[in-house]
Amino acid sequence: MPAISRLALLVLAAASVQAQSVLEGIELFEQGRYTAAEAALEGLPDKRARAFVALARAATGRCGQAAGGLQAAFDEKSDRQVMRLAGLALARCRIAEKSFAGALSLLNLLASEFPDDGDVLYEIARLHLKAWNDAVERMFDKAPASFRVNQLSAEIFEIRGRFSEAVAEYRRAVEKNPRAINLHYRLGRALLMESHAPEALAAARREFEAELRLNPNDSVAEYQIARILEVEGEHEAARERLENAVRLDPDFSEALTALGRALSAQKSWPRAVELLERAVELAPQSESAHYNLMLAYRNAGRESEALAVKKRLDEMQRSPEGEFTDFLRRIGELPQQ
Amino acid sequence: MTRLLAALGLAAAAAAQSVNVAAEVGLTHVFPNGGDEAKTWILETTGSGAAWIDYDNDGDLDAFLVSGKGGVNRLYRNDEGRFADVTAAAGLESEGWGQGVCAGDYDNDGYTDFLVTYWGRNRLYRNLAGERFADVAASAGLLQDRVRYNTGCAFLDYDNDGDLDLFVANYLKFDFETTPRPGANPYCYYRSIPVACGPRGLPFDRNLLYRNDGEGGFTDVSVESGIAAPARNYALGVVTGDWNNDGRVDLYVACDRTPSLLYINRGGGKFEDEALFRGAALDADGRALSGMGVAAGDYDGDAAVDIFRTNFSDERSTLYRNRGAGDFDEATLAAGVGRNTRHVGWGAGFFDVDNDGWKDLLLVNGHVFPEAAGLESGIRYRQRSILYRNRGGGRFEDAAETAGPGVTETHAARGLALGDYDNDGRVEALINSQNEPPALIRFAGEPENSWIALKLEGVQSNRSAVGARVRVTAGGRSQVDSVRSGGSYLSQNDLRLHFGLGGAKAADVEIRWPSGLRQSLSGLAAGMTHRLVEAAPQAAVNP
Repeated sequence: MPAISRLALLVLAAASVQAQSVLEGIELFEQGRYTAAEAALEGLPDKRARAFVALARAATGRCGQAAGGLQAAFDEKSDRQVMRLAGLALARCRIAEKSFAGALSLLNLLASEFPDDGDVLYEIARLHLKAWNDAVERMFDKAPASFRVNQLSAEIFEIRGRFSEAVAEYRRAVEKNPRAINLHYRLGRALLMESHAPEALAAARREFEAELRLNPNDSVAEYQIARILEVEGEHEAARERLENAVRLDPDFSEALTALGRALSAQKSWPRAVELLERAVELAPQSESAHYNLMLAYRNAGRESEALAVKKRLDEMQRSPEGEFTDFLRRIGELPQQ
Repeated sequence: MTRLLAALGLAAAAAAQSVNVAAEVGLTHVFPNGGDEAKTWILETTGSGAAWIDYDNDGDLDAFLVSGKGGVNRLYRNDEGRFADVTAAAGLESEGWGQGVCAGDYDNDGYTDFLVTYWGRNRLYRNLAGERFADVAASAGLLQDRVRYNTGCAFLDYDNDGDLDLFVANYLKFDFETTPRPGANPYCYYRSIPVACGPRGLPFDRNLLYRNDGEGGFTDVSVESGIAAPARNYALGVVTGDWNNDGRVDLYVACDRTPSLLYINRGGGKFEDEALFRGAALDADGRALSGMGVAAGDYDGDAAVDIFRTNFSDERSTLYRNRGAGDFDEATLAAGVGRNTRHVGWGAGFFDVDNDGWKDLLLVNGHVFPEAAGLESGIRYRQRSILYRNRGGGRFEDAAETAGPGVTETHAARGLALGDYDNDGRVEALINSQNEPPALIRFAGEPENSWIALKLEGVQSNRSAVGARVRVTAGGRSQVDSVRSGGSYLSQNDLRLHFGLGGAKAADVEIRWPSGLRQSLSGLAAGMTHRLVEAAPQAAVNP
């Protein structure tokens, strides 16, 4: 064998040993043995080795030591998988340092590269949660007596479906600042979320009326009162309230739909159809507007137009089974197809 | 109670006073149905139904109640107003997750048969001369290819050939191995507490239609009839009716969390779901609600049969007014039945509680989740019933609070069957509740009005006369109704038709039989049950 060939073989063998070491180091990292991985990879003249050393340091909480290596691995875009891991680790480090703006810009870059990646989306959600938590903490610390503290508590209870507690917090907020715009409205809405019993309807209506006294142009409060009046069987009063809501906000699609439906019930077909057509135009994804327009056409004897709207409604009605089955498959509750 | 009120001089002012007489007439067995403090599976939440069936043709109604796992279905023979458990003697002992019941004389031998639906294998009980029953599901071709979650059912003669076919609703696909447990995913929570998963997130199944071959067997015609479509609905309660008045029986199916179904019979053995266009699938806001039970009746006296559907709490029960040709408008709020939203509604039925000639409405309730009782939202697991009194003019009045303890006592109710078990002219309510003895609600205390009951017997038509449409005219008013198998929530009402007549002493009756034959009888005396045989010139007094 010529000398040059022997040298080439030696070089190849050394490269092969090095490559084997890199792979072993990465495997240790994947097993979660970060210290061993760092030891195995440190000093190896390989870009991936350097990246995984940085990843191992970040994984063991040494973000300061890891930052340079992570940034280099993120900027080096030839290996997308390494870039993704480095970007995620760097983002976690920045969140831990409360450098939210830096983390956000990094995660936005990652999201543009990996738009459907669960880990990336999770970190974005975590970032917002963390920032939200920090802001809330500051608010409780700096302005504990503000009605906004109660309002925020109420909104959190609402999200968690604990409506009676939400109502109590809104009431405290209203007590502290009865003239705050939108607070009576939110209280009224929470009362309706808790119950539609007659006493709840009456209490909610009082709050919507209070909101209107503060802001007589609040079309949404008018609309809510109209819906309560409908339940109470006061259909003419409800219709008048809906007329008010539509006058205040001619583009209020829910109010247009409700008024169109009320006029349909009175067999005032031309105006009902006109309002419902407008509602559909304003809210092309509203099943309620389409459904009521379909029925108004049908009852007015305009069957072909009713059938055309029905076709559109059929297309809009997505199967909940599909929606939820897909979801369950994604979270592993059902086998993948 | 009536005597007490009379003694106090309150009888004239009191509403129909109700009382639960189940214990005193011998209905004391508990009917198990899953957990009473917590439920792991949706299967524990849906059972079970109740039925009034005169199985021995002695002229009074016997009671049948379906049980969940851990108990047995029971048949009680009516012995002059007291009920004797004849389950074993009648050959009806069976275990499993029983769901619904529907009745009809499918073999036209003069004795009423019935089907019991299960999560698992359905049982078709053939009535052997009023003495015993035989489960003939296998020989009749009703065994299924796999475990199905069968719920509501109804016998109906969809092809008008004189024998009863069979519809069976299917809720969803469920098994203990793959269904997630409470709290397993975001769709297994109710108001932040972990509860049994479903229906959303669980796979749909399709409904079933079986054609009676006239010789004791059934053939699955679900696919070719169109009943198997659209299979995107969680189907529970079933009621039959000729909504578009074309002489062919249609089907309405209450569906949970999905649009309800209105299968219009197009003839030639074909059905088409037209619920959306006809306005009976959704509520007025275009939302699919959690339909459970369903009742049919002409509440506004316009000779068009309307539909009432019970739904979940935070939703309104839904009243669909028939515009006359099978197109519906939601009339819930206009009719005054939209204010009760705390209850989870199940069984429901139109009946004339005071015999004033206007059909009232009873619905029975009970929450799905026992765990919800711990919430601070006023939600209760056991809930009272609701009685709506029909005031005429298309308006109801909520009379529950003044209707007496039979209505206001609380249960985890499911099935409701209506029938006059003691033939005294007042209709009683048989209620099957989870893990409780049944309730038998009697109503009394109103000024006496007259009534008439009609037991129809087909000759060319099916012998149970299921699908026959009857118009009764008395005192200047007409009422319509039909003989129906199934209905309410997984239950069977009396197959006889009962009409309140107000002060009238006699009534004229017109019948449109499923065969197409029209028959008129004049001057039938009030205050009794008349047996009306297809094409026979005169009525007989029942039995």
